[in-house]
Amino acid sequence: MCTGWATREWWAVRPSDGNLKTRTLGLVSSIAAGLALALPHRKVIAIDGDGAFLMNLCGLPTIALQGPGNLIHLLFDNECYEASGGTSTASRTADAVALAKGAGYKHALWVNTPEEFRSAFLRALKDNQLTLIAVKVEPGQPNGLPPLRLDEIENKYRFIRYLEATEKKGILNPGFDSKL
Amino acid sequence: MDTKQCAAAIVSGLKKAGIDFVATLPDEKMVEVIRAVDRDGEIKHVPLCREEEGIGICAGAYLAGKKTALIMQNAGFLNSCNALTTTSLQFMIPTLLLIYYAGDIADRGFTTLGSVTEPVLQAMGIRSYVLRGTAEIDEILRGAQILADDSKKPVAVLLTKSVLGVN
Repeated sequence: MCTGWATREWWAVRPSDGNLKTRTLGLVSSIAAGLALALPHRKVIAIDGDGAFLMNLCGLPTIALQGPGNLIHLLFDNECYEASGGTSTASRTADAVALAKGAGYKHALWVNTPEEFRSAFLRALKDNQLTLIAVKVEPGQPNGLPPLRLDEIENKYRFIRYLEATEKKGILNPGFDSKL
Repeated sequence: MDTKQCAAAIVSGLKKAGIDFVATLPDEKMVEVIRAVDRDGEIKHVPLCREEEGIGICAGAYLAGKKTALIMQNAGFLNSCNALTTTSLQFMIPTLLLIYYAGDIADRGFTTLGSVTEPVLQAMGIRSYVLRGTAEIDEILRGAQILADDSKKPVAVLLTKSVLGVN
């Protein structure tokens, strides 16, 4: 589950029908939490940005109260609304890890290097615990990222078909000619 | 029927409609419904801090096959308009919106809220039904769920004092 410009970067390194690009600023963590609660045996990763994270602060206590251990909440904090023109967010002064901990996340940490990130991520994966992993990054994107060719509807259908195939169960209703 | 019997009938109607995942933020008049949802072992209950995040939580659960409902007051519906537009409608994700109709006829204190509720639903293209009589609970909830599922859009059911058994 991705938000903002990070979506294109993630999709470039890991193209998959198991990716979903969310549209509502802030809602990626909530959508990912709903998915994680509905599929407790699967792992769900939310890729959040600082503008989105700050917009949905009231979603954090809700997620922490449910405490889905299969949800890993990643925050890439570039201190600006990069996809909306690059003006500053309040994350220069607001501490996302402190906010998450205050909201009830038992595991929330800043990481500073790729090695620290890898170690924190693998620990969250292995121990099956709801974790916020936050990292400060510079604004900007690599050149030559492939454009996303999916609109929301196609993204949704492919995502659900991906879950149907990997869960080996039907999700969408069987069809208009059958009884619901 | 008293408040608890009405609440039991509404939760029973939700279950007959196949709802198994419910996010809530209370209005005082729906407290018994929310308590009944919380007690029910077959429904996953997610209490919310703000209604808009509930649209996201229900959307995520829908992707994995859950039949979802969001219980809130109409002020909460107004809080949810962006998420309903850019998540539910844009991705074509159904959810049942059970909205307490504050400011409805004979309901004191929220007339402004009452007057904008149906026009805003209509402007968003969300079909809505006002539920007044307990005899209609099963039919309206099941019908609204089928409509939501088939149209792949949210559908609103506006709950009034009479169907909740409150004054």
